[in-house]
Order: sequence, then structure tokens, then C-alpha cells
Amino acid sequence: MKITKYEVTLKRLTEDKIEMVRNWRNDPKIARFMEYRDHITPEMQTQWFKKINNDNNYYFIIEFEGKEIGLINIKDIDFSKKEGEGGIFIYNDDYLNSTVGFQANLCLHDFAFEELGLERIIAHIMKDNKRAVQYNKIQGLKLQPGQEDVMNQLYILEKTDYYAAQNKLIKLLNI
Amino acid sequence: MDITTFVQDFAGQFEDTDASEFSADTIFKDLDEWSSLSALLIIAMVDENYDVRIKGEDIRNSSTIQDLFDIVKDRK
Repeated sequence: MKITKYEVTLKRLTEDKIEMVRNWRNDPKIARFMEYRDHITPEMQTQWFKKINNDNNYYFIIEFEGKEIGLINIKDIDFSKKEGEGGIFIYNDDYLNSTVGFQANLCLHDFAFEELGLERIIAHIMKDNKRAVQYNKIQGLKLQPGQEDVMNQLYILEKTDYYAAQNKLIKLLNI
Repeated sequence: MDITTFVQDFAGQFEDTDASEFSADTIFKDLDEWSSLSALLIIAMVDENYDVRIKGEDIRNSSTIQDLFDIVKDRK
């Protein structure tokens, strides 16, 4: 499965790519922003892939300018509640802190709201990851009440908030 | 348009970095405060202040503020 939009391509994660993702995920530059920070073994990665390779979890490799640069996902989808949890990391330093993450998120959010029929996307963001907090807020995610003192804070992107932010982002990014 | 004003406009998009840290030669992606949001704010600033549309790749292909200024000036 492949989605190409906003100048990025999202390729659904396949088993032959999980070792590359494991190496990315174990790199301290990525792991330090994750709630789970211990080393991930190949066996753990295989087990994880078996658990997420289904219609309730969509993990995609982000491809940009022909390079595989990161991972983006919508996971733990509850179709009865019409919600799932989003996440992203950019591994390739050439594209870190660039606009590519926004482009990949637009692509994923369109898929989630238009193809999967979701109404909201949940995100957990480490309170001390200021870049991630700003990054998500500009895309329309809102900190939920009672989360001010929580370390891994709950944010929600409602469909209506997404479309308000989406138009601005597309215009700004000129895509 | 002149580089001094452009550097000031660029610096104005940052909250925590002192204005004295910005010059035409500043390698802006090395700034502690630089983020993907900064990239977006710079694109918006250039559009609003200079009426020039730049893209993410223009920022990716620029190293210094001068590099970005040259791109904007060429399109003005």
C-alpha cells in the first residue's frame, strides 16, 4: 500500500523493513523522545510487527526525494469510537526540523479522516519535547484538560480542527 | 530589499534566541531553537513581508540567512 500526496510518499510498513526501523528506533536521538526507551531486540521487533500488521494499525515508511527518511503511524484504531493514535519520527537528519514532517502528517491525516473514516486522532507528546508540542499544535491538536502536569501529555486532533489547519498548511507550504 | 532588514525579520520569528545571534552568515539550522515550526514561520514571514512564495526545499537548500535572502531577492 502506497500513498503519494503533498510531495511525499507513505509506504505501508512491510516485514523486510522492520530491521531498518528497529535500528532507527534504537538510536538515542529517536529513543530519547519515546516513552519506551530500552533497547529493542530483533525478536521484540518481530513480535511487535505481528501485533501491528493488521487493519487497526497503519505504519508507513516516509519516503521523500527517493529516500526512506522516517516512520509515521496511526495505531490502536477503534472504529467504534472512530479514533486512533498518531505518531511520527524523522530519522534522516537532512529532513529533521524541515517541512517534510508536516507534509507526511497531512498525508496521514487525510488518509485517517477520508479513507478510514475517523473523527479524531489522539497523540501523546512528552511535555519536555517543546518542538513536538509546537509542531502538533500548529496542526490543530489540542492539549486535553487535566494534562498540564502529566509527563506524556494527551493531545487530540478533531476532524474539524484538522481541516481548519490543513488549508493554512497547504497554502503556506505551497504544495 | 536589504539583508539587514531580512536578518531582523528572520530573527523576529524566534522567541528564545537573542537577536544578537543573527547575522547574514548565521547557519540557521544550527540554532538550538531551530525546528520544523521555524521553517514554517520563515515561509510565512517571507510571504507576508516580501510577497514571495518559497517552499520547504528552498529552506533545506539554504545554509545561511544570506543564502535564503538571495533566493527571495531573485524571486522578487
